[in-house]
Amino acid sequence: MTNIISGTFKAFVAGVRQLPKRRMTMRYPDAQIDLKGYYTYDPKLGVAKAGYKGRHILWLDKCTGCQLCSIACENISQAIEMVKVNRAQPNNKKSIFPQVDYAKCVFCGLCVDACPFYALGMTQDFNLVSTTKKALVYPPEKLAIPPNVTRTKVEFKIEPDDAFHD
Amino acid sequence: MAAITNFEDFAKRILKIVFWLLIILPMVILPLFYIFYVLPIEISCNFNVLNCSQKIDWSLALYMFDPTKMNPLDPTSYISQLGLGATSPLFKVSTFPGLTFAALLSSMVIWYERKLLAKMQYRVGPLYAGRIEGILQSFADLFKLLFKEIVIPAKADALFFISVPFALMAASGALLAVIPISPTNYIALSPYSLLIAIAILGFFPIITVLAGWASSNKFSFIGGIRALYQMISYEIPLIISVLSVVILAGGSLDLMGIVNAQSKIWFIIPALLAAIVFYLTAMAEVERIPFDIPEADSELVAGWLTEYTSMVFGVINLAIYIKLYALSSLFTLLFLGGWQGPAPIPALAWFLIKTLIVMTIFIIPRGFNPRVRLDQLIGLGWLWLIGLSFANVFIAVILRASGLL
Amino acid sequence: MSIPAEAGLYTQAVDDDKLTVSIGPQHPGAGHFRFTITVEGDTIVDAVPDPGYVHRGAEKQTEYRNYLQSIPMLERSSLTDVTNIIMPYSMAAEELMGIEIPPRAKYLRMIMSENQRILSHLYWMAIQGIFLGHSTSFMWPMGDREMFIDLGQILGGARVTYSFAIPGGVRNDLPEEFKGRAIKTFNHFERRLVDYERIFYNNPLFLKRTQGVGVLPRKEAISLGVVGQTLRASNVKSDVRIDEPYNFYKEMDFEVPSFDTCDTWARCMVHLIEMRQSMKIMRQCLDKMPSGPVRAKLSPQQRTIVGEAYTRIEAARGAMSFHIISDGSTKPYRVKISVPSMRNLIALPRLLIGSHVADMPAIYWSLDYWPVEADK
Repeated sequence: MTNIISGTFKAFVAGVRQLPKRRMTMRYPDAQIDLKGYYTYDPKLGVAKAGYKGRHILWLDKCTGCQLCSIACENISQAIEMVKVNRAQPNNKKSIFPQVDYAKCVFCGLCVDACPFYALGMTQDFNLVSTTKKALVYPPEKLAIPPNVTRTKVEFKIEPDDAFHD
Repeated sequence: MAAITNFEDFAKRILKIVFWLLIILPMVILPLFYIFYVLPIEISCNFNVLNCSQKIDWSLALYMFDPTKMNPLDPTSYISQLGLGATSPLFKVSTFPGLTFAALLSSMVIWYERKLLAKMQYRVGPLYAGRIEGILQSFADLFKLLFKEIVIPAKADALFFISVPFALMAASGALLAVIPISPTNYIALSPYSLLIAIAILGFFPIITVLAGWASSNKFSFIGGIRALYQMISYEIPLIISVLSVVILAGGSLDLMGIVNAQSKIWFIIPALLAAIVFYLTAMAEVERIPFDIPEADSELVAGWLTEYTSMVFGVINLAIYIKLYALSSLFTLLFLGGWQGPAPIPALAWFLIKTLIVMTIFIIPRGFNPRVRLDQLIGLGWLWLIGLSFANVFIAVILRASGLL
Repeated sequence: MSIPAEAGLYTQAVDDDKLTVSIGPQHPGAGHFRFTITVEGDTIVDAVPDPGYVHRGAEKQTEYRNYLQSIPMLERSSLTDVTNIIMPYSMAAEELMGIEIPPRAKYLRMIMSENQRILSHLYWMAIQGIFLGHSTSFMWPMGDREMFIDLGQILGGARVTYSFAIPGGVRNDLPEEFKGRAIKTFNHFERRLVDYERIFYNNPLFLKRTQGVGVLPRKEAISLGVVGQTLRASNVKSDVRIDEPYNFYKEMDFEVPSFDTCDTWARCMVHLIEMRQSMKIMRQCLDKMPSGPVRAKLSPQQRTIVGEAYTRIEAARGAMSFHIISDGSTKPYRVKISVPSMRNLIALPRLLIGSHVADMPAIYWSLDYWPVEADK
């Protein structure tokens, strides 16, 4: 019997102790988690550099149109298609560049791992909402624009009184 | 109408006739009766019907149609002559301390509950409806519910289905009618007010089963039966725990008398076991966690409330929260000394503060307790709570007989 | 009505006492899984599970993709346990390709694997709270899970599905901020676990609902072939990380819990203790990790030897194994996945029959059945 009373009282205390603490909820979209860095792949070393896998970024002057990213995605989600762009480049004779369909992309990043010319990366932009399906297909020129991530950012903190007693 | 071919149809027909006579017709006829027959008598006798010294003026019933009978220089005479003034029974029933006051308080308590639980759970509660921390969330929910369609399932018994919110609201309102909230603010004063309150509490199980059965849905039916088990097995400990308070108060069943008898010591101290039993049984009557088996989400979707949709659902929820408010005020009156407290704060404010504290204590177990299983709940009700409440009756008898209280 | 053996129309006599309730896919208490229980009063007399609602043919689809391209598809079967479902696949593929991955990659895989274990157990605890009606026990684990998701995001680059442990090693190396953040998270979470014990595990109402409920004796557990927490709670000390060590678990110091009460309470406690042990393993990994490469050079169209490979690891829910048969090309010939959820499903009718209806959610979720993983 005393177990029941003491158990209930301890549960009550554990619940009520939470009341004066700060709430964990983050007021999105005014405050967002700070995501650092692009996800890129180094073909010489054979490893990638850690970063958030969001929207792609395409460095147009490095892309040679080898289609390896499109082939890598072919059996995964078929989200990359090579399209012709009106841009003359010495290392891209056919002037074809990748176009990503974000309705299909699963953000696995294996296309970045397949590129041997340092041309493709993934940024920390995850806010790709649109009202039409056509707007989700990003042509190469749109992929080349770096993302605008200057919203108010809040580093997701653990409670100060708990976290610094190492 | 289908022909009656066997006893079942006959019973159904009789039940329909009884239902119409007892419930629907009075809801229509009684208000008309009040306006056109009772109100003139009351106004003519200056609201003192038992010692009526004046002749009854039947034309007062048509005041709203005859402007020559009112004094044009005194606007307030219109209101009080029509029986709508601040001291008239209509005002007391509908506004303060009656239905509107209870409904507003319950809406605020719904917001308060959501905020309190959210704080305990690491998150924010309502935040965006209203400038400060979502204070208008209940009203936003009310408006949303008004816009939805009222859906009555095809196989359900429409009459019984749609009468449930009316019945629940009526029962909750009737509970409020006998509870005084300060020495001068009450709707009805009666020497048996506690008995009336306990008797009205007995209506709720029937209405719950009606709701579960009329939905013609297996899950709702199971939920309704479970609610019936729960409420019935917790009524007896409730009554016995109240009995010990009645004994301590000298045998009076009047809530005013019980509060006045607590001027020396609040009854929570000699009747502590009864207070605990009343608290647990009241939580079971209102179906709060840890006793919310009829609405167990993970097993029965929403129990006996499953098929109720828009404003019907809103009215039922409001009725349940008004019942919570009524039971908290009963707890305050019976155990915590009602409106008694030190001088500078008026009696009404003391009552409201104490009731709010009691409601907080009702709400908090939702934050840290899981649900009790049905057979464990019934075992608790029939074994432990009856035993504890009987023990307290003996203590109360001993205290009273030895002259200590 | 027992589990049907042939296809066809089955008829059964209608009995007035028994009520057949279908806890279907559209039910808040079941996930994407359907089972039918027959209830007589308050006791369950028959329970027939009916898996297959989310079957997507994952095993067949691996035959059309090469080893690297199957990874995003396979990992989405078991959402809370992503790394652990592709790790045996990668290990079997490496065996068939005849390569050895560098040791630092094995340590990184271990870190990710233990992170996933904690995430899966926290999700389990959240849903167990809901099934028992305890709303705080839903919100707190989901909130604390965010800290571990952040750790996974720093390392893997995404919040839920990383595609991290591919054949050849892991995809990227540890960034510098990971270690400090991880130590802070572990310290904070160990303090939170004390609060969890107070509000949930030592709560008398929780004890009343789970002790003595759904007892699976030791002999039956072994003969039915259940795995994971169900097995460990039935007094069998069995863990693939200790019996058949892989990666570097031989050098880690941790203990495997087991209880002799064999009931739902024991299964819940096993989850709690495993979370603590996972954090212990992660701390040791962060200290002992050698430096070096993290990925062996492989082309996406790597050819394999002709043969079979079989690997088994300890996923968050139990022992998971992959059996790959290869015919020497870049695509596998046949992949057979054996998931812990499917192996525990056989215990569900055995435990439900004879118990109260109200015990059904507690027992069902304590087996940690994940329908998407079981249906592949």
